[in-house]
Amino acid sequence: MLGKLLKHELRATAHTMLPIFGVMLLVSALANVCARLMNGPGNTPVVLTIIFTLVVILFGVGLFAIGLVTVFIMVRRFRDNLLRDEGYIMHTLPVSVHAQIWSKVLVSSLWYAASSVIMVLSVLLVSWDVDTIMEIGNVAGRIIRAMTREDHVAEMIAEVLALLALGSLVTSLSFDAALSIGHAFAKNKMALSVLAFVGLLILGEVFTYYMASLAGDIGSLETFASLTFIKGWRVTCVAGAGLMLVMGGACYGITAFFLKRKLNLE
Amino acid sequence: MAVLTCRGLTKKFGSTVALDGVDITVEPGRIVGLLGPNGSGKTTLIKLTNGLLQPGAGEILIDGKKPGVETKRIVSYLPERSCLPDWMTAGELMGFYKDFYADFDRDAAAGMLSRLSIEEKQKIKHMSKGTREKVQLIMVMARRAGLYLLDEPIGGVDPAARDYILNTIISSYNPSASVIISTHLIADVEKVLDDVIFISCGKIMLAAPAEDIREQRGKSVDEVFREVFKC
Repeated sequence: MLGKLLKHELRATAHTMLPIFGVMLLVSALANVCARLMNGPGNTPVVLTIIFTLVVILFGVGLFAIGLVTVFIMVRRFRDNLLRDEGYIMHTLPVSVHAQIWSKVLVSSLWYAASSVIMVLSVLLVSWDVDTIMEIGNVAGRIIRAMTREDHVAEMIAEVLALLALGSLVTSLSFDAALSIGHAFAKNKMALSVLAFVGLLILGEVFTYYMASLAGDIGSLETFASLTFIKGWRVTCVAGAGLMLVMGGACYGITAFFLKRKLNLE
Repeated sequence: MAVLTCRGLTKKFGSTVALDGVDITVEPGRIVGLLGPNGSGKTTLIKLTNGLLQPGAGEILIDGKKPGVETKRIVSYLPERSCLPDWMTAGELMGFYKDFYADFDRDAAAGMLSRLSIEEKQKIKHMSKGTREKVQLIMVMARRAGLYLLDEPIGGVDPAARDYILNTIISSYNPSASVIISTHLIADVEKVLDDVIFISCGKIMLAAPAEDIREQRGKSVDEVFREVFKC
């Protein structure tokens, strides 16, 4: 059933996300054309200059906002689909609460990753000309060659990507947990959800600080300082992943508990 | 085996008692009217049966099982409010129900939509409130379920729509299944009911076959309701 939930979740979110991504790419292409026209020979009419400037500003705002918009849409989707009227349909489907949570978290993470890709594509598109792209290709080639010459660099990049994916899942779970807590109350659900999110962030920070202190108390910091770079990197990655797993697990447990035991549909 | 059994079912919201030691048994093949004034506990009982709420005390069993994934396979639920995803078309909605419910009869649903002249390509958000309610009812009644839970299916609709809704329920439900219709509009549903449950302030006031009530009291169920719940 998780597969079916994922299919419908993707379809439901794609009909909002794809047009946004499409508009972002279109604005990027327009910004590229505008920049070329403004930099071209001869005087550009004032009206066209204003329009070009607006398009470039729109591109800048879009690039800054696309990540936030994606988060906003995913948060609203979780709330509307599981905690408001649509919840009457979703929570009476013959699927477990766990499948419901996983479908939301996996699809949200996918769109977070997609918005990052769109940001990169937008930057490439706005700076598009043959010389620039050739230069980007040359730089990328040099980076790849340098990486393959150095030991562990490719693995380190894979580890960073894995940590980013895990971080994306945990972020999504923390939004879901906060919304589930806030919507268990009868009134001021969104305000209480924001409070719950702040509370979860503080708890996460306290936990991280406590674990770091604990590591210091048992002399782990001295051991850490004596490690080679790559071993230190690995320990940092494992510690980071461990912390994220604990926080993600806690947020998952909170979300599952509130959806199962404290559901309060409007 | 009873399709629905409640034993000492209690639910509180803070200090408010919504259900107070409710005992109910619903046998297969019966159409049951869950009748009571607003705020009597009808919706709470239906939500508990669907697993949307958890009981404070007591037990609720559907086909011998506690509410969960297994019972949701056999329960077809019509909420009291319209809750269809408005970005979907009627056709996509049928696909959604077919994906999750093995007992969903797509042809029956398509036939009912067609009789209402609702195009499968029409989006839910472009439908009127009344049409959305009918589409929701069609999705619920197109299932060959074991228990239909219909929460206020005729509340807030015009008399012509009431007739359509009641006809749809009677003509399309699985005859071996039970149907629980929650309402306070007794006169409209009385003719279709086999059994009647009166509920007030979270307590069962009366549970009996509709025919027995009419014979023993010499009055219609609607008249008895007005007597029992006289303000």
